[in-house]
Amino acid sequence: MKRAQLLTGLVLVALVVLTAVVAVFWTPFDPIRVVPGQRLLGPGWPHVLGTDGFGIDIASRLMVGARTVLLVGIISVGLSAVVGVPLGLLAGQAGGWVDEVVMRLADIVYAFPALLLAILLASVFGASTLTAMAAIGVATIPAFARVARAGTLEVMASDFVLAARASGTSRWGIARRHVLPNIAPLIGVQASVGFAMAILAEAALSYLGLATPRPNPTWGNMLRDAQQFLFVAPLQALWPGLAIALAVLGFNLLGDGLRDYLDPRLREVP
Amino acid sequence: MHAVSSRRPHRGPIRALAAVLGLALAIVLAACTPSSPQSTEKPLRALAVGATLEPASMDPWHNTAASIPQVLLYNVYETLVKVDTNGEIKPLLAQAWEVSADRRVYTFHLNPAAKFASGAPVDAAAVVANITRLKGDTRLTETLRAQLAVVAGAQASGNNQVQITLLRPSTMWLYDMSSTLGMMLDPSATGDLNTTSAGSGPYAVKAHNQGQSVVLAANTAYWGNPPRFDEVTFRYFTDPNAMNAAMLGGDLDVISNLQAPDALSQFADTTQFTTISGTTNGEVVLGVNHDNKALAKLEVRQALTRAIDRRALLDTVWNGQGTLIGSMAVPTDPWYEDLSATNAYDPDAAKALLKEAGYSSGLSLRLRVPVVPYAVKSAQFVASQLRDVGVKVTIEELDFTRWLDEVFTKGDYDMTIVAHVEARDLGKFANPKYYWHYGDEKFAALYDAADQAPTEEQADAGMKAAVRYLADDAAAIWLFALPNLVITKATISGVAQNATTLSFDLTTITSR
Repeated sequence: MKRAQLLTGLVLVALVVLTAVVAVFWTPFDPIRVVPGQRLLGPGWPHVLGTDGFGIDIASRLMVGARTVLLVGIISVGLSAVVGVPLGLLAGQAGGWVDEVVMRLADIVYAFPALLLAILLASVFGASTLTAMAAIGVATIPAFARVARAGTLEVMASDFVLAARASGTSRWGIARRHVLPNIAPLIGVQASVGFAMAILAEAALSYLGLATPRPNPTWGNMLRDAQQFLFVAPLQALWPGLAIALAVLGFNLLGDGLRDYLDPRLREVP
Repeated sequence: MHAVSSRRPHRGPIRALAAVLGLALAIVLAACTPSSPQSTEKPLRALAVGATLEPASMDPWHNTAASIPQVLLYNVYETLVKVDTNGEIKPLLAQAWEVSADRRVYTFHLNPAAKFASGAPVDAAAVVANITRLKGDTRLTETLRAQLAVVAGAQASGNNQVQITLLRPSTMWLYDMSSTLGMMLDPSATGDLNTTSAGSGPYAVKAHNQGQSVVLAANTAYWGNPPRFDEVTFRYFTDPNAMNAAMLGGDLDVISNLQAPDALSQFADTTQFTTISGTTNGEVVLGVNHDNKALAKLEVRQALTRAIDRRALLDTVWNGQGTLIGSMAVPTDPWYEDLSATNAYDPDAAKALLKEAGYSSGLSLRLRVPVVPYAVKSAQFVASQLRDVGVKVTIEELDFTRWLDEVFTKGDYDMTIVAHVEARDLGKFANPKYYWHYGDEKFAALYDAADQAPTEEQADAGMKAAVRYLADDAAAIWLFALPNLVITKATISGVAQNATTLSFDLTTITSR
């Protein structure tokens, strides 16, 4: 059961990654070129999933959308991990007032809605993929900081850290040699779950017009465009919706599966 | 649905799947559900009208947005003369008027019964006070200032008789007076005009709920035919689908102009809904900033025009509803002719013209559009077709208030798309300060000559020449004229077929 969960997650994630990689080099049709007279075609051949209101092949747009989603996921999760993990490490190792200050700052960021940040960034710099990445990245920093801090506290209380401290290893050395390797699995799981969150957030932002601008396709703005055809061509909304659902599901399952796989206490007895 | 499924005790994939599908579905279904719960206790005679753009204030003199006169003109503020549904000038506050032989002095005979909501009469002194107030107003919108420039002054020649003198004859002037320029404000008004009103019309502004609606209440002391509704609410929807859903759900009585023509079939049931299809004055203009070095070149503007297949654009973005115009005139204008074949679609010619202008290696332009359905959809179409001829277009979507500030007022754009809904508005091109910065002196001369022409025939012929000049000079790119697609409940009648003015005229509407 656990194995199946991990496997399903892996397959779904691999599918998204593969689609995105292929889309870098090839799509069946031009994903932004309007083709008048071909609008709102149903699924068939050569347009496997049909065409949208501009006569553009939906499958091609979905493929490019996967590329955007992956890019936003990698950058924003990367950003929050690169900032969040060292902060969590610092708080966990130093303790005392440093811990207090860092974690309260994290709480403040946590309390600040990502959407508000995205609106702010979009109105100052103009909505773009970059502003969406920044908003999602910053908003998820506290999650990484918390996970890293909790992990650090646990490791710091262990006997081998005590031994390392007794033998005069510096704080930096302990962090590098003992803490980081031990909390790496935790961070990995958090990254996978964070990725799922990032995909959903990106879809929501571009649905609201606060991320990648037209005419570049994203799953969110495809959903927005499909909305006006709900009664005429309901399948329009299904494809991007399904893509978002499967991608989020994939990363969530992968995260859950990884956690169970890496945590010996949850491992099933054969 | 989402909340219920997450409370279930199952762990693992099923819960995750349900949650994820729930979220995705919630996004999809957001469009289908009415945006607010239906109000069950409405006052006796109420009318709910769905509209797209929310007015920023209730002050039409200092804000150019057409959404303000949509609510106020003829309903709250009245004018001396009014344009009827056939586009002809009819009496309103003035029972009759005479024009002097040199066409410079207009004498209006005011209706002695007319009075403001405060009870004060709309007499000659009030009209003079209004003209004087506008003349002295330094914050007046650029459009009104330009329209007012022709007026020398006004003076009372009797208690109910007023003479307005012009500096020169003007064909357009009386039309302008039938719109925002002619709105008569109670001279004794002291309230904040951003939120209250002081007009002579059958309704008065009761409330402006920012982000939602404007509520008008009947003026029980109205001097003309008593208003047919006690309360009229204009509700604003940025999302056309939400407006359609509200109509289908019974929350609205009228959709003032359908913004999702693809959804027309939803209202096909004639026992429930009436669909009215007519014309508007709304020219959807792909405006170019003539201050831009590239766009100042005729070849570039011609190339851009030739690169866009406007028939296909209309079919794609507005479901083929609407009219191709090709210049700044609509079919209800006396000087209208179909100029859509001028600079007709020809991508190869467009490429050649770009090469000739020195932009064969490419040209990058910012297309900054307000978030309104016709503009956003047209922008994507335009960007795609211009890309085909080697012009790189970056689309930026701005909410309408920001668009007004940055594009319309500050001129920070290369290209933009907006509908110009004022009647007979080609004169805007004669104003070099207007946001297109089109300072063509030849056009200005043509327009002024037509405006000052001694007879109506000569004026019409002159306007026709001016309109044609605009098309030949590709002063802008005219995408199409918006249709007037009104949906009403079957019980509502009297909504005008053609939107000939800025007003959503409530005075003709009745409910069964």
